[in-house]
Amino acid sequence: MKPLNYAILKHFTKVQEACAEDVINALKGEYGKFRALERKAVVTALMTAEANGLLEETRFEMDKSGVLKVYYRAHEEGAATINRYIKD
Amino acid sequence: MNVVTKTVDAQALAAKKKLSAQFLRKGITIALLSGLMYGFYSAFLTLGMTKGVWSDWYGANTAGLSAFILTYVVAAVGSAVNDTLSAVWALFFAGLKGKVGDFFRCLRTTPGRVMILAALVGGPISSTAYVVGLQMAGSIVIPITALCPAIGAILGRILFKQKLNKRMLLGIAICVFASFLIGSTSLGGDAPKGAALGMLIAFVAALGWGFEGCVAGYGTSMIDYEISITIRQITSGLSNLIILIPIFGLIAGNVQLSTGLASQAFTSGPAMIWFALSGLCAYVSYMFWYRGNSMCGAALGMACNGTYSFWGPFCCWIVLGVFAGIEGWSLPLIAWIAAILMVFGILVISMNPLDLFRKKEAA
Repeated sequence: MKPLNYAILKHFTKVQEACAEDVINALKGEYGKFRALERKAVVTALMTAEANGLLEETRFEMDKSGVLKVYYRAHEEGAATINRYIKD
Repeated sequence: MNVVTKTVDAQALAAKKKLSAQFLRKGITIALLSGLMYGFYSAFLTLGMTKGVWSDWYGANTAGLSAFILTYVVAAVGSAVNDTLSAVWALFFAGLKGKVGDFFRCLRTTPGRVMILAALVGGPISSTAYVVGLQMAGSIVIPITALCPAIGAILGRILFKQKLNKRMLLGIAICVFASFLIGSTSLGGDAPKGAALGMLIAFVAALGWGFEGCVAGYGTSMIDYEISITIRQITSGLSNLIILIPIFGLIAGNVQLSTGLASQAFTSGPAMIWFALSGLCAYVSYMFWYRGNSMCGAALGMACNGTYSFWGPFCCWIVLGVFAGIEGWSLPLIAWIAAILMVFGILVISMNPLDLFRKKEAA
């Protein structure tokens, strides 16, 4: 089992793009009991990864309930960095 | 490269802009608070080192400790007690939030080992270089260490390709100059022989702190910030206790004495209360330093944290001068002027100040 933050970043090396909700849904099976697997913390983790060049924003939209969803992807360099530091 | 397909409607755009602005504002606030908490950590540590067994060591000195032991060993013991208690706080809060498991998992990974390296460089290595530099060259080294935000920003550019333009460099230069101004108030005519080497060693300390700030800040984009700080404080506390204090003891010719001093310090109740508080402030300060740097980048994050050169004397004045009533603690006018300069410098790093006027014109 990887640390939660590693699993969040690693998720982006396996999908085209994802938002915080997608990440939570993908990881809740293994990390469901982790208190840090909640929307606010995951949004902050994704924005921090973006600020450090690991992820980049692809698009954003407002869902039907008025919640902003920002989508990110790991670009080539970001994915290479994630895979270099975080092994499977 | 830029595969951006944005489905933009006005509401979503406004919400997105708000989210980005909030993130930057939060990052700057956290980085500034790291400087303030560093000030309180310094003040409570200084206060703790006047209580219990410390009042004898630095006062009557009935134990007959030599100048070397008082300068190096006792100072290292103070740092070790503080960092160890800070590590206990870090483990406590990590446990409270269910992150202890992830802490152990991170230790076995490359980012975890990089964080340990950053903690060793910024902790015992830089702290020792600072104390040695201070002893060899006198107080001239204090403003030299103020260069660490500039070093952090340059290393961030080289190692992690972080943004660093001319405007940001100007802002950093303003902040460094402001810290220099505060540091210069403690300058005395005390430059002894070997001052040049001492200044060089102090520069190593600035280099180490700059390295720690930018590397650990980047590392905190991979490792949870509460886990990063737990790694940092445990590494620093243990390396001080197990490596640094015995080494200083060995140089002083008595390893048993140095471990004895550490055990006396840990059991000195009246002092430990203040060390517990300084350890808590150090925990918050370093955690916010790492987190602020990861959110804002090393240039802005370290400049905000660099306000500790104002908050340090300010908090010492409040805690030691006003609260504890110890004479000799005041805040010179130049520190207030430098604080205003720092605010301006941080503004220049974070945005083009001319944009403020442009926005007014647009409105």
